[in-house]
Amino acid sequence: MKKVFSFLRSMRFGMILLVLVMLCSLAGSLIPQGEQDMTYVRSYGASAAVTLKTLGLTDIFHAWYFILLEILLCGNLILCSILRFPAARRAFAGLKEQTRTAEPDQPLAAGQAEHVREVLRRNRFRQDGSLWHKNGAGVYGSFLVHLSILVILLFGSLVLMTPQVQDRTVMPGESLTLEDGTVITCLSFHIEDETGRLDYASRLRAAAPDGREVKEQEIRVNEPLRFRGYKIYQQTYGTAGRVQIRNSDNGAEEIMYLMEPCFLSIDGRNGVYYRALYPGFLQEEDGSYTLITSTSSGYADPVYDVQSIVDGSAASVLVFPGETLQIGEHSFTFLDPAEYPGLRIKRLSPVLYGCLYFGFALMVAALYLCFFATPVCVRVEEDGYAIRSPKSQEGLLISLQAALQGENASGGNP
Amino acid sequence: MNILLFAALILYFAATVLQFTAAAMKKPALHTAARLVLLAGFAAHTAFTVWRGIAAGRLPLANQFEFASGFAWAAVVLGFLLRHRLGQEGILTAAAPAAFLILSYAAFQPRDIKELMPALRSTWFALHIGSAAFSYAAFAIAGGLGVSYLAKLRRGTEETEPGMKQLDYMGYRLICLGFLLLTVVIFSGAIWAEQAWSSWWSWDPKETWALITWIFYAIYLHQRLRLKWQGKRMAILAIVALVLVLFTFAGVNLLLPGLHSYASAG
Ligand code: HEM
Repeated sequence: MKKVFSFLRSMRFGMILLVLVMLCSLAGSLIPQGEQDMTYVRSYGASAAVTLKTLGLTDIFHAWYFILLEILLCGNLILCSILRFPAARRAFAGLKEQTRTAEPDQPLAAGQAEHVREVLRRNRFRQDGSLWHKNGAGVYGSFLVHLSILVILLFGSLVLMTPQVQDRTVMPGESLTLEDGTVITCLSFHIEDETGRLDYASRLRAAAPDGREVKEQEIRVNEPLRFRGYKIYQQTYGTAGRVQIRNSDNGAEEIMYLMEPCFLSIDGRNGVYYRALYPGFLQEEDGSYTLITSTSSGYADPVYDVQSIVDGSAASVLVFPGETLQIGEHSFTFLDPAEYPGLRIKRLSPVLYGCLYFGFALMVAALYLCFFATPVCVRVEEDGYAIRSPKSQEGLLISLQAALQGENASGGNP
Repeated sequence: MNILLFAALILYFAATVLQFTAAAMKKPALHTAARLVLLAGFAAHTAFTVWRGIAAGRLPLANQFEFASGFAWAAVVLGFLLRHRLGQEGILTAAAPAAFLILSYAAFQPRDIKELMPALRSTWFALHIGSAAFSYAAFAIAGGLGVSYLAKLRRGTEETEPGMKQLDYMGYRLICLGFLLLTVVIFSGAIWAEQAWSSWWSWDPKETWALITWIFYAIYLHQRLRLKWQGKRMAILAIVALVLVLFTFAGVNLLLPGLHSYASAG
């Protein structure tokens, strides 16, 4: 039992876990994740696809064994490092004591000790008799690094596991109401700014349920709108057809957005069946059209593919913006398509994010302590000195040797 | 202005040849010459980078060419800084070829200046990509020192010689610096991703490979502490780790496109 426990708390086990996390990440980056089953069958063949799926390799970062690895890593970190905090607290006092009684193993010629002291002074060591020391706080470096890993793993997972995210589309000029009654209105949307530079941006107005708090902001990538615990991102955009329907009898008029196939009819028998909107077309020599299904230059020459339906009989027609179809007393005028934003609406937990970002900052500071503020003690006597530190002090040795050599050189050549 | 880039490339190559010759023949005068040539290359490279920044009206680190050029530039900066601090010529013997090879890779990338993609217009851009350039540069020099260590070992130099200990130590210190900076890269990227795409981590291939590289270096650091590994083993690990860094830098863009795919755009 004791053996098992000592293995579980060992750095060796920690390193095995890290290698396993690395291998899972490697697999996760090489095998496409979270695709439809057929995609794997097409790429790898049926039996390999079944094996991948059974082993959880198609969604490895949510597989039970990956989560188990993370839990084991946290346990191992707590056991092998965090519980050593009391030892870390005593470490600097121990290092000082050890240095005080250390044999000066680096011999010095007469008068050289002052040069050593000079270098130590320059390197901001503090003097305590013949003992020089610095970076006492450095003993907490690795403790804090591991603590920050725990903080990041814990809060990072909580942030990822408790997503309250919804993707919604909203037409310019229209609003959507969130579950707590907050109303988001899209005032406008554009893809390019005035200078023609790509800039997908929506001007939004957010209003609290009681209407008292209102915020207006243009959102774009990197500039989401924060409002009462929500964060609203400019996520995607789409293009919708627009049709103006007019009743010549009573003069009623309405503009409708066309996003998916639909039958525009008052009586259920006559009307227009909207099938699709195409971004462009090519006109062949014989006068026929070839429709372009996707382009990188937006909807440059849009064309509507519709059917006019009169008394149950349908006729397919291509309609260009500005053209009108008259069916009975209704006229359907197809307009230029409109671009609309896809918004991602996220509910934030500021505390979770705060803790996660605190973990980030803590780790950077702690790594600095680990690497660039290593505790060092030096005992300087007239005939020699001794350096003690948990890490190699080659850099300090190099500067001491350089100072002593310089002194020798200047001693030899007055 | 491309002439400045090619001048830098030629001068880095010349500095590399001079550094190698100086190291092989143990001629300090040649080292001085190599240093001057490297400095001249660095001046040309800096002038090119400043020109490019002005012409593009932004930090010139926005695509594969610019980032690779920044990576090479950072390798020379770090080389000179550490050479100045530690007085060890070995740093430049590794930094010069690293800069030459990375800049050669850059020279093969499309160089046309393009408008900054909307996703890259962020205050995090400079911190994220700037620290990546310096982190990769530190790892590249550490890998170069690893190669240099193994080469000396093959030529019969004893591991106990002070020069070898210093090489080993410099490699370790560079990896500490690179690791700290890579941590900054990952965290600034996470905060940026939350700001841009709403999730701080999405297992995008570039993120995943940065994590793989980071874990590998964490293992390197622990092996040094736990088993007191030094010298040859550390040199081998530093070289293997550099392969991971290079894959994260260039291989992922080519082979595993994801959210970061704009990084490879010309
Ligand atoms: C991603 C995970 C980890 C990272 C980034 C990390 C980072 C570090 C760093 C930077 C150091 C100081 C190294 C140096 O100063 O050269 C360190 C030391 C150490 N780490 Fe980790 N570590 C990780 C996981 C672990 C695990 C799982 C263990 C489990 C046993 C562990 C145990 C230790 C120990 C015992 C030390 C030495 C502490 C000391 O002597 O003060 N680490 N770690």
